[in-house]
Amino acid sequence: MKVLLVGDGARENALADALANSPKGYRVFAVSSYVNPGIKEAVERTGGTYYIGKPTDPESVRQVIKAVNPDFGVIGPEDPLFNGVADEFRKEGIPVVGASKNCSTIEKSKVWMRELMWKYGIPGRLRFRAFSSVEEAAEFIKEYGGSVAVKPAEQVGGKGVKVVADLQAYLSKEKRIALSKGVSAIGSYAKGSVKIIIEEKVDGPEYTLHVLSDGNVTLPLPLAQDYKHAYLHSIGPETGGMGSISGPGKLLPFITDEEYERSYDIVRRTIQAIEDTFKEKYVGVISGQMMLTGLWGPTIIEYYSRLGDPEASAIIPRIKSDFGEVLELTATGHLAKAKLEVEEAPSVVRAVAPRGYPLNKEMASNKRIWLDLPKMRELGCKVYFGSVALEGNSLVTKGSRALELVAVQPFEEADKTLNKCFSLVSSEIPLIYRRDIGITIAEQVEKAEIVRFTYKNREARGLLGVSADWSPQGGLW
Amino acid sequence: MAGIVGVLAFDKVWDVTKFVYYGTLGLQHRGYSYSGLSTLNEGFSTLRERRAPEDVEEDSLAQLHGWAGVGYSGNTEGIPVEGKEAVMVYDGVIKGDLPSIADSIARDPERALAELRGSASLIVLTKDGRMIGYKDDYGIKPLQMGGFGFDLAILASESSAFNVLGGEMTKELEPGEMVIIDVYGVQTKQVKEPRRAYCAIDIVYQSRIDSKVFGLDVYDVRVRIGEALAEERPINGDVVIGVPDTAIPYAIGYSRKLGLRLDLGFTRTGSPIRTMLAKDDFLKVVGVQLKLNPIKSSVKGKKVVLIDDSMVTGNTLKNTVFNLRRLGAKEVHVLIGSPKLISACPYGMEVPDSKELIAANLSDEEIAKVIGADSIYWLSVEGLKKAIGHSHLCLGCMTKVYPKVI
Ligand SMILES: Nc1ncnc2c1ncn2[C@@H]1O[C@H](COP(=O)(O)OP(=O)(O)O)[C@@H](O)[C@H]1O
Ligand SMILES: [Mg+2]
Repeated sequence: MKVLLVGDGARENALADALANSPKGYRVFAVSSYVNPGIKEAVERTGGTYYIGKPTDPESVRQVIKAVNPDFGVIGPEDPLFNGVADEFRKEGIPVVGASKNCSTIEKSKVWMRELMWKYGIPGRLRFRAFSSVEEAAEFIKEYGGSVAVKPAEQVGGKGVKVVADLQAYLSKEKRIALSKGVSAIGSYAKGSVKIIIEEKVDGPEYTLHVLSDGNVTLPLPLAQDYKHAYLHSIGPETGGMGSISGPGKLLPFITDEEYERSYDIVRRTIQAIEDTFKEKYVGVISGQMMLTGLWGPTIIEYYSRLGDPEASAIIPRIKSDFGEVLELTATGHLAKAKLEVEEAPSVVRAVAPRGYPLNKEMASNKRIWLDLPKMRELGCKVYFGSVALEGNSLVTKGSRALELVAVQPFEEADKTLNKCFSLVSSEIPLIYRRDIGITIAEQVEKAEIVRFTYKNREARGLLGVSADWSPQGGLW
Repeated sequence: MAGIVGVLAFDKVWDVTKFVYYGTLGLQHRGYSYSGLSTLNEGFSTLRERRAPEDVEEDSLAQLHGWAGVGYSGNTEGIPVEGKEAVMVYDGVIKGDLPSIADSIARDPERALAELRGSASLIVLTKDGRMIGYKDDYGIKPLQMGGFGFDLAILASESSAFNVLGGEMTKELEPGEMVIIDVYGVQTKQVKEPRRAYCAIDIVYQSRIDSKVFGLDVYDVRVRIGEALAEERPINGDVVIGVPDTAIPYAIGYSRKLGLRLDLGFTRTGSPIRTMLAKDDFLKVVGVQLKLNPIKSSVKGKKVVLIDDSMVTGNTLKNTVFNLRRLGAKEVHVLIGSPKLISACPYGMEVPDSKELIAANLSDEEIAKVIGADSIYWLSVEGLKKAIGHSHLCLGCMTKVYPKVI
């Protein structure tokens, strides 16, 4: 059987591996925008062909579909989905793991997502305001009370979000001035007419629940947690994610079974709401990027219409059953037959990025890196290639997270394994690598415990999700 | 004695002046005779004042502006230290020419810090926008790092500063660890092997009870100290009273352990800082405040267990005991929530010389007589270690055993 994989990052490397390792013996074909060494290896190993094209462009992908004529497709990143690449597959009659253009709106538009949650009364929703004018957003920030998250109204790949805790009256002015100055930069990321979304700020540990949907049946994957801050010890600007953890089991140490079930329920209700709105089946992956908050318990921060990156690298290596086949069953509508066996041991993923990421793309691009792959594997470490291209015989950075190092082991062991692995990576530019990922479990357990007191109490009093802010100038919102 | 703070923004739309300022305010319990701020734009602007952060006029902050800055509240004049390439704030003692030390840290941080003489935690901000934090290998003074959202990196002595700013403390530096923060990264490096001799005074009374220092929740430790006192010296009193503010958690632990009644014994006139006229600098830290007015209903006709955090000359305590008796206390038994102070501190904590320390000069009976108490008892060194949970401590002022020669 032939499978065509679309995309070029570490997540796609993990997917390519899962497909190539499947006992079903898939031949893996792929289309990327540059030569990802990991995907290349999976393709060559299974006798496929590696196409260099434009994964985000339906026309370019269609040509590859025509050339390969695959039995099914798998789309990794969100941009192809937003542009209708999944619809191209289906037009050709080829089943695919990937939300349609319509369905991917759940990720593309953060405003549409919030409206949908309110319209269908789905738990875990937040108060929000949408702005088409940057000036109005700036005005709103200055006039209204309360802590806020200010974001581009669209998914732009982990940039532009500002979260401001404003409980300290004495610093309110400083914080609001900086934020309102920053608003035009935030708004400039959004291409559509709605530029900015402002949400009430919530607090608590974050986690992601990925769910496969074949249009009738859904299958939840083990939880994962993504680390957003660029630098060590959760300091620094927002990124697409500098690492992740998953497990043990299907949970995380700070999320209970009940919270898992509630999160799953939220995602299922959202799938129904999307299908109801578009009169279309949701076929692909939908992921609730969630936070356990005092306001709601499980709360939606945003949705992905695909697997998260770097969450995928934490989850896929923990699946003991044939994940390649699970993908096929998702595409073809036979998910009911799927078996999902999950490794009990947790995993830790740490990304390696060139200095300059995420604030200075030029600085982070076109730098050579070297690694001793056989030795890293010997140490028990998986290596997925991300924003790094094979050019001639060299690995050259493309400006984002170049590698994802994965260890499936108890957290403390994983920490040691990954550090050893990382010492086998070198570069002509200093590398960013968050040694703290996977070693702050106790802190997060405590954070979860704290918000759990609040949301359980709210629940008992029928106050889940009830909140408001007020200021003399702005009034109530 | 000092609180230090550094703030660096990843986006230059931020003016961090007020953040630095409020950071120092959240640390002024660590020492407040002098305060100072430096902010970085193209170059540095610096403000130094001979008063506590809370007494600095809003207007004088207006001359400062910048996307990074450092702040100081403490008992040493002339900080921030200003070199040609960097400014520096520190808590502890640094020997040598300070401006040129700041510059050499800016030029070659690892080497300069390895060669640093003295014992301190410090923050250096360089003209080219690097914020360098370092805690010396004995780790006598605390230093922590963390952030505010996706926008600011923060270094500060105590987590109280992070709380005041609405940020989050994520890591206490290891002894001997250096951190360099700039817009493009956070790097840490172990410059020297950690020796771990955390200042016991910092834990038992200098830090704020809402803080975490050296990985310990300060409030919890102090309640445990009260429990340890109860085990070592149980007194069947009618009421337990702690001297505000520091000794209240001790009293809570003591009364809870023995099932005794706890009452508030005092209220205060004026701000703990502003009314401070005492010559004895050490008293300022300890927070035994000048105008503590006792409450009659709490003590009249009662056998009182009075708990304080330390004793220097004994004068304040003498006053306190006298006041309690004046309001009708039948008996006053004094407990001190730390071992006897018998020797000066070479690392910047203002513990006076032995000759000024009552416990270094008189016997227990004599001291009880001087302060007018029915009995007096100090927490044992062992009890202190037990309450803290380990013995990686500097106890120099209590034992005359000093971990580091400087
Ligand atoms: N309403 C909110 N309250 C608190 N934190 C938030 C909120 N919205 C976003 N965040 C924080 O910002 C991060 C990025 O926001 P998100 O909506 O996921 O945007 P992106 O598309 O950039 O990932 C989240 O992971 C979370 O840490
Ligand atoms: Mg996100």
